[in-house]
Amino acid sequence: MTKSFFRQHQASLLTLLALVLFPFLVGLFEGASPAVVWANGSGTSKFMQGLAIEVFILAMFALSYDLIFGITGLLSFGHSMFFAVGAYASGIAIKSFGLNLGQTFLLVLAAAFIQAVLVGIVLPRVKGITFALVTLGMASVLHLIVMSTELGPYTGADVGLQGVIIPDFINPAVERLRLYFVAMTVFILFYLLYKRFVDSPTGRVCVAIRENEDRAKMLGYNVFTFKFAALLLSSITAALAGFLHTIYQPIVSPNTASLAFTVTALLIVLIGGVGTLSGAFLGAIVFRALDFGLRRYIGESASFINGAVYVLFVLFIPYGIIGTWRLKSLELKKGWEDLLKRFQRSMG
Amino acid sequence: MANSDIIFQTINLRKEFGALVAVDNVNLQVRANTLHAIIGPNGAGKTTFFNLLSGNIEPTSGQVIFKGRDITHQPVHKTIHFGIGRSFQITNIFPNLTVLENIRLAAQAMGRDNLKFWQSASAFKQYEQRAWQVAEKVGLKDRVYHLARTLPHGDQRKLELGMILAPDPEVLLLDEPTAGMASEQVPELIALIQEIQRAGNKTVLLVEHNMNVVMTVSDTITVMHQGRVLAEGTPAEIKANPEVQTAYLGGLYELESPTPQTYDK
Repeated sequence: MTKSFFRQHQASLLTLLALVLFPFLVGLFEGASPAVVWANGSGTSKFMQGLAIEVFILAMFALSYDLIFGITGLLSFGHSMFFAVGAYASGIAIKSFGLNLGQTFLLVLAAAFIQAVLVGIVLPRVKGITFALVTLGMASVLHLIVMSTELGPYTGADVGLQGVIIPDFINPAVERLRLYFVAMTVFILFYLLYKRFVDSPTGRVCVAIRENEDRAKMLGYNVFTFKFAALLLSSITAALAGFLHTIYQPIVSPNTASLAFTVTALLIVLIGGVGTLSGAFLGAIVFRALDFGLRRYIGESASFINGAVYVLFVLFIPYGIIGTWRLKSLELKKGWEDLLKRFQRSMG
Repeated sequence: MANSDIIFQTINLRKEFGALVAVDNVNLQVRANTLHAIIGPNGAGKTTFFNLLSGNIEPTSGQVIFKGRDITHQPVHKTIHFGIGRSFQITNIFPNLTVLENIRLAAQAMGRDNLKFWQSASAFKQYEQRAWQVAEKVGLKDRVYHLARTLPHGDQRKLELGMILAPDPEVLLLDEPTAGMASEQVPELIALIQEIQRAGNKTVLLVEHNMNVVMTVSDTITVMHQGRVLAEGTPAEIKANPEVQTAYLGGLYELESPTPQTYDK
């Protein structure tokens, strides 16, 4: 351990600093002093905080997807169900049952746990294309349930869940800066948890399952247990992202349970880098910025260009931003060392 | 010679795939601390037989007894905990992980730390040490940080062997450990297997096509043909067995005395 803590975690610490300063820097850019930003004055900063909160929510969702897809190697087409359960459970709990945020938090955890156990009866036993189809089916069922008119009084059917009253102390309209820091903290905590998980004995086995499931079995691992552990953690993360979504958005749309939303996570992970974890965050920034920018300057036809950009991404940067970065930096390092060696040799 | 306790035994073991009887009522007894080879032409049912022993597939009928315990219906992830390690004919490793991590995972599987998701794997030094030990034993010490898929084929076979050795099993089921290896690398690997078997008091059950190897290293040879046991005995007995000779070996394999004593036996 020759490197100091700061040098070792340089990139992470710089990112953290940038995230903390972000609302104030955006404010300064517009001429608003940090004090104004601190007091939740309206302006570009407040608007950008909103976008950033969306990015944190998306990043958390994509992070949980990366654990299933990138780390454990299971391609899921129904991941949005975990998010939707968190979003709807929290919305209904607050609106229809008048629970406070603390109670709602516990309820979301319980719902995520129960859902993981229910889908966990089947999912860890299948893999490959079967896994993709089974998850797709499960999510479709949930989509139908939240869209059903019978449950309309609770879910709002095809209109979506509206009128969830969020207490002032965390309401995005009143205390947006606070919500920004809450979302940021929650995301960072989960990111660190995921980092540790992937490096833990459990996570290493998940990677082994991705690499060669049969061999992992032959080594004596009951792969069911490990896939279930990944599903459970992923389910809880996505559900909490859904909870944040309910707090931030005025409406919980049935789209949160749709295939398109799962594909959003897939795209984010592909952009950032599959199995890299930090790629989920970077991918979410790119995804949200691109979506926002194109919509603003081009209008509704933006999704066409959006799609083209993703195709190009997958074709030319198949390892994603972080994945490609790591590969290139390895190559650069190797090239640099080779060069040094040659230089030393030529010097005799 | 080592003691003659039976460590592994099958009783009327049978596996059918539809109309095909891949393994036909095989009764096999493997003595502890011996090197027992199973030979036979392609399609004789050797690999299927191995799959039955290791729990990869379930037999149609019959029993597998390991150290007096019926393990017939144990799934594959349990049999290794009883002390049965198995290698594959086709190299079966984690291609995108390092050599060290491949072996470390094999060692970790034997411990009780698999679900400690809140701790870093590097906190469990014992598995890493074991991995280093094994890597040195199989001769991969200077390649521990290479990705497994970048190794030449011969080294991948060694890694495969290392992954079975890491949990320190009592019985090694080796399915053609030299398959696809350059012929000059074969003696090295065979010498390694012999050394492991003798020094570690292990029982090795070996499927091998190279007759020179089989005839020199084995204590006992079982000949399988069309799912049945055709003959069993010492190398000398098998060589002299007219049934084995005429039934199929004569036409396919050279059973003459092997060239110089490469494998010291």
